[in-house]
Amino acid sequence: MIHLRREERFFEKMGTEYPSSPAIPSRPASPFSVPQSSTPFKSSGPVVGPEASAFRHAPPSSTQITPPSSSSGSMVGTEASAFRTIPSGMPNGAARPPPTSGFPNMPPAAGPYQPFPAPQFSSIAQVPPPRTSLAGQPVLWPPVRPVSGSFSTSPVSLNPTQPTPVQMGSPPQSGSMVQPDIVAPRSPIDSQFSAARATMQQSSPTAGSVYPVARPSFQSSFPGYISQQTTAGAQAQPRQSLAFPPQPGGYVPPMPAASSPYFAQQGCYAAPPSVASQLGHPREQIRHPGSTHPMAVMQGLVEDFSSFSIGSVPGSFDSGLDSKVLPRPLEGDLERNTLSEMFPLNCSSRYLRLTTSGIPNSQSLASRWHLPLGAVVCPLAEAPNGEEVPVVNFAQTGIIRCKRCRTYVNPYVTFTDSGRKWRCNSCALLNDVPGEYFAHLDARGRRIDLDQRPELTKGSVEFIAPTDYMVRPPMPPLYFFLIDVSVSAVRSGMLEVVAQTIKSCLDNLPGFPRTQIGFITYDSTLHFYNMKSSLNQPQMMVMSDLDDVFIPLPDDLLVNLSESRTVVDAFLDSFPSMFQENTNVESAFGPALRAAFMVMSQLGGKLLIFQHSLPSLGVGRLRLRGDDIRVYGTDKEHILRIPEDPFYKQMAADFTKNQVAVNLYGFSDKYTDLATLGTLAKYTGGQVYYYPSFQAAVHKDKLCHELARDLTRETAWESVMRIRCGKGVRFTTYHGNFMLRSTDLIALPAVDCDKAYAMQLSLEETLLTSQTVYFQVALLYTSSSGERRIRVHTAAAPVVADLGEMYRMADTGAIISLFTRLAIEKTLTSKLEEARNSVQLRIVKALREYRNLHAVQHRLGGRMIYPESLKCLPLYGLALCKSIALRGGYADAQPDERCAAGYTMMALPVKKMLKLLYPQLIRIDEYLLKKTSLAEDSKDKDIWKGLPLAAGSLDPQGLYLYDDGFRFVLWFGSMLSPDRVKNLLGENFAADYSKVSLREQDNEISRNLMGLLNKYRESDSSYYQLSYLVRQGEKPREGYFLLTNLIEDPVGGANGYLDWIMQLHRQVQQNA
Amino acid sequence: MSLYISSLSFLTGLIFLINGLEAYYNYNCNCLLQLMCLADLEYDYVNPYDSAFRINRVVVPEFALQGALWFLHLVTGHWLMFLICLPYLYYNIKLYRSLHLVDVIEIFNQLPWEKKIRLYKLGYLVILLAYSIFWYGVSKKLLVLISETTRKPNYIISLL
Repeated sequence: MIHLRREERFFEKMGTEYPSSPAIPSRPASPFSVPQSSTPFKSSGPVVGPEASAFRHAPPSSTQITPPSSSSGSMVGTEASAFRTIPSGMPNGAARPPPTSGFPNMPPAAGPYQPFPAPQFSSIAQVPPPRTSLAGQPVLWPPVRPVSGSFSTSPVSLNPTQPTPVQMGSPPQSGSMVQPDIVAPRSPIDSQFSAARATMQQSSPTAGSVYPVARPSFQSSFPGYISQQTTAGAQAQPRQSLAFPPQPGGYVPPMPAASSPYFAQQGCYAAPPSVASQLGHPREQIRHPGSTHPMAVMQGLVEDFSSFSIGSVPGSFDSGLDSKVLPRPLEGDLERNTLSEMFPLNCSSRYLRLTTSGIPNSQSLASRWHLPLGAVVCPLAEAPNGEEVPVVNFAQTGIIRCKRCRTYVNPYVTFTDSGRKWRCNSCALLNDVPGEYFAHLDARGRRIDLDQRPELTKGSVEFIAPTDYMVRPPMPPLYFFLIDVSVSAVRSGMLEVVAQTIKSCLDNLPGFPRTQIGFITYDSTLHFYNMKSSLNQPQMMVMSDLDDVFIPLPDDLLVNLSESRTVVDAFLDSFPSMFQENTNVESAFGPALRAAFMVMSQLGGKLLIFQHSLPSLGVGRLRLRGDDIRVYGTDKEHILRIPEDPFYKQMAADFTKNQVAVNLYGFSDKYTDLATLGTLAKYTGGQVYYYPSFQAAVHKDKLCHELARDLTRETAWESVMRIRCGKGVRFTTYHGNFMLRSTDLIALPAVDCDKAYAMQLSLEETLLTSQTVYFQVALLYTSSSGERRIRVHTAAAPVVADLGEMYRMADTGAIISLFTRLAIEKTLTSKLEEARNSVQLRIVKALREYRNLHAVQHRLGGRMIYPESLKCLPLYGLALCKSIALRGGYADAQPDERCAAGYTMMALPVKKMLKLLYPQLIRIDEYLLKKTSLAEDSKDKDIWKGLPLAAGSLDPQGLYLYDDGFRFVLWFGSMLSPDRVKNLLGENFAADYSKVSLREQDNEISRNLMGLLNKYRESDSSYYQLSYLVRQGEKPREGYFLLTNLIEDPVGGANGYLDWIMQLHRQVQQNA
Repeated sequence: MSLYISSLSFLTGLIFLINGLEAYYNYNCNCLLQLMCLADLEYDYVNPYDSAFRINRVVVPEFALQGALWFLHLVTGHWLMFLICLPYLYYNIKLYRSLHLVDVIEIFNQLPWEKKIRLYKLGYLVILLAYSIFWYGVSKKLLVLISETTRKPNYIISLL
C-alpha cells in the first residue's frame, strides 16, 4: 500500500538540481544515442524550414491548406475533373421554371433542382496550397473550366494590406525562428492568408459568430447574388459575371456548356460523382465573404463537405440513392495526417490519435461537438524499422521536467536567456536549465547541440529513469501459468498445444538471464510444481484443502528460467501425458487463483490462465447463469454481461496492486461466464483470448501463434501511464483495460504493443486563451532488460474557434475507437439496444450540427451532407452496431462470445479496430491464376482494393477472401470451376468444408493462395487469422461465417447500409 | 390532565431528542468522513485501496444508525421526522440490496456520483439536525411554558 503512494510521488518527482557546470554535457553513452547523432537533424539549413513553418503554423490558419496541399501534383487533375462534373446542375438551372416562394424549403416540386450538387454561391475550393500561390492562381485549374453557378476569387484578391501577425501561435519562437529566406518561397499571399485567418480566429472567439459575420458581409459585397439565387436561374450567369468583375489574379468563370450529360441523372444522386466520393478527393468549397472589414476579410472558410442527395419526395427516396455512391473505407484506414504536417515534431499517429485535431476554444463550442472529444493512445505501438524511439539518458542532470506542471522536456519547449532558461510549452513557466544540460543558443535562438538531442527534435523519446522513479529494484520478467487440467481440457487437446508452445518459446522469452517462470495446474485439487534447479524432475505437490490455500514451498514454485531450464523442459514434456487419464470434471479456479496470487505477489509479472470450464469449487465458484431469452429486452439484460461474483473484482484489484497482469485464455464450448472471469484481465491491463469449442486439430495454429506472441512480444512491466495536457484542458474519463490508480494515473502491470487506451477530455475553462494545446503521454515502465524507462510522446494540436474547423480535422478512426469503448461500457449498464441507439444518436447529432452549420449558407434541400473527414463515420457506426459485442439480441451471439469480443475491442488499437469493424473483402481467384510473384502484385493496388461488404459483391464464379484481422473466411462461389477448387483443397474438395482444412497443395494456385494468406498474416501479427472455408449456399456455415458479417446487407432485422443512411438522414432532418 | 400527558410526552421526546441530536451529529460526521476520503482520493492524497477501505468500513454503520433513528422517531411518535426520514431509509435499503460498498476498481469512475450522493445526504442531515435543534429549543420553551402554567406545585404533587 505504501509503495503505491511512493510510486505516484516518484512519478511526479522531478529531476534534482545539480551543481552547475558550464561545459556542454557530453552525449550520454547509451548505445542508442550514437546513431542518433548522425541522423537527420545534422543539416541545419533544411531543418529550419520545417521548424520555422511549424512554429508559424501554430495559429490555426494553416489548417485550411492542409487537405488540398497534401495532394501531389496529380491531385490538380483529379480535382479539376471532379469539379468539371459538378456544375452540371447549372444548365438545368437555365431551364428551370421561375422560382416559387417555397423554393428554399425544397418542396417535392423542387425535383429539378436536385441536380445542383454544389451550393450555388460557394465557389470551388480555392485555398491556396503553397505551390499554387507561388505559381499564381490559374495554374491550379485547367484553362477551360466549365465552372458554373459559382464564382471564384483568387487568393490574390484577398486584402493585401492585411498586416501579417504570423507569430500568433508561439510568440517566443516566431521572432527568431522565422527566417526571411524561408518565408520567401511561401508567397506573401499565403502568409497573409494565414495571418488574416489568425486574426479572424481572434476576432471571433466563439464559433457561432463566425458565420453571422461572414454572411452579412457576403451579401453586402455581392448584392445581386442572393436575389439571384431566388430568381430564375437563367439570369444567374449574366448577372454573376456582371457582379463579379475579374479581380486581380482572378478569372471570370466561362459560361458553361448548355447542357451536360448529368441532366439525365435528375433525381438520382447528384453530388460528388461516385468516383470522386469514393476516391476520397474532397470537394472543396470556399465561401468568399468578400467583406471589406479588415478583420473578417480573409475568412475564406474552406468547407470540404461532401454530400449526396437523397430524393426529397417522401416515399420515393428508395430510387433516389444509389448505394454505390455511399462512402466506404475500401482503401483501409483513412488516416489524414493534417496534424503531423502542421506540427512535424509531433509523435507519430501510431502512438496518439486525437478524435479531432482542432481543440475547441470554448465550452460552448465543445458542447456543439457531439462526437467524443479525446484521444486514443497506444504507447508502445510497433514502430517500423528505422523509426524506433530513441533512448535518452540524462544520467548527470536528472530528467528535465517543468517544475510546475511536470511536463517532460520536449521539442516544443523554447530556450531563452541565452540558453540558461527554458520555457515550458504547456504552462509557460520559465525553468532553469541544469548546468550539465546547458548549451549556447545560435542566432536563431536554437540550441547549438540540437542535432544531438533527440528529446528536442522528436515527438517520441525514451528516457532512462534514475532511481527516483523506482520504488523497488526493477522486476524481472515473470511468467506464471495457471492451467486447467480437468477432463474437458484434456480432451480438447489444449494441454499439448499449450505445453508445446510454451516450450518452443522458452528461448525467446524476453529478459533472458533474469526471466522467472512457474506453473500451477488445477482440477478439483491444486497441483504445485517444485522446479528447483538442483532437481532432475519437477516435484508435484497436490493440495486438496481448497478453503485454506497456502503455498507449500515459499521459494521454489517460481524459479529462474535459465537456472532451472532442464526441469522446466522436463515438466513441459511430461505434463500433458500426466493428466491424460484425468477424469476429474471439477475446476477449483478460485483457490488456484489465490495460490497464484500468493506466489506472485512479491514480484508481480504476467499470469496466463488457461481455463476450460466453469469454476465449480471453492471460493469464486460460478453458477450457470444461462442465457435466458426472457431477460433480453428487459432492464435485467445487462446483468448477464457484468461480473457476478465480487471475488474476481477484488482479486483483480489485488493483482493490479501487486503488479500482476492477467491474460485469460478461454476454450470452452459451454458457458464459462467470461463476463466474470474477464474482469481479471480487464482491470489488470490484460487481454482475453477466446477459442470457442477449442479443438486442437482445428485451432492449434491460432493458439500457438497467439500464445507465442503473448509470451515473446516486447512487454513493459510494472508501468503507470499518465497523459498531461495544457492548461484549461483536462482528461476526465479513461476507457480500456486497466485500473485507475489516481484520477489521471493509469496502472498497467504489463503493457505491450497491442494495447490501446482511450480517454476523453473536457475543457475546464470557459474560454481557452492559448493557441495550441500540448499533449504529453508518459509511460513509466520497467523494460524486460531490467531498465526503468519513461516513454514520452508529445503532440501539439491547434485550438480552433470554429466548429467547421473541428469537423475538418476530425479523425474517424479515433472517434470510432472511442465510440466502441463507450458503447461497450454502456452494454454493461443497459440494454444492447440502448447502446446501439446511443451510437446512432450521437452520429445523428453530429451530422445535424454539421448540417446546421451549412444550412445557413447553402441550399441543402434533400441532400445529406457530411464532412469529408467523417465520410465513413455512418458506415463504421453501422458496423459497430453489428459487431459481435453489440449486435442483435439473444440469438445473435453467445454471451461468452459477446463478452470476449467486448473485452478484446476495449483494448484494440485504432487500425485493428477499423479492420475488425469493416473487414476487407477481396476477390482472389483471378489473382491466384496469374503467375506472378507477390512482390510484383503488391504494386498493383487494384487487386487489393476491397469490395463493399454486401452480398451483391459476391460473384458465384469467384473466390473471395474475407479478412477481419481475426480470421479469414474463404468463400467459394457455387459456379467456381471444380478444377480450381480441387487445386486448392486437394482430393477432398467435395467434402463438407467444416472438416476440410486448408493445406498447401503441390500446384501454383495453392502456393499463391498460401503465400497470400501468409502475407496478410504477417502484415499484422497481433492475432492469427485462421482460415474458414465456406461454400456458397452451405447452410448454416455460410450465414454464420460470412453473411451475418456482410454489414451492408440488412441481416436479421438490422438495417442495411442504405436504410441506415436513410434513417440517419431522416433523423438529421427532423429537427434540423 | 391532558396537559400533563402532553408535557410528559414532551419530556420523553426531549430525552430522545437529545440522544437523537447526538446521533445526528455522529451521523453527520460519518458522512463527512466519507466525503473527506473521496476528496482526498480525488486530490491524490490517498490511494484508492485505502480510501475504499476507509469508506466501506463506515457504510454499514451509517445505514444502521439511520435505521435506528428512523425507528426512534416511529416509537416516540415524531411523525414528521419519521416521514422525513422515510425516503432516506428507502434509498439506503435499496442501495444496500444492490451495491452499497465502494468498488475499489471503479472508484474513480464513480467518484463524481459518489460524491454527489454523499453531498446530498449531508445536506439532508444538516436540515434534519437544524430541525431537531429547533425543536429542542422549542420544546424547552414549551417546558417552561408548561411549568409556568402548572406553577402550583401541589397540583403536580397531588397528581403524583
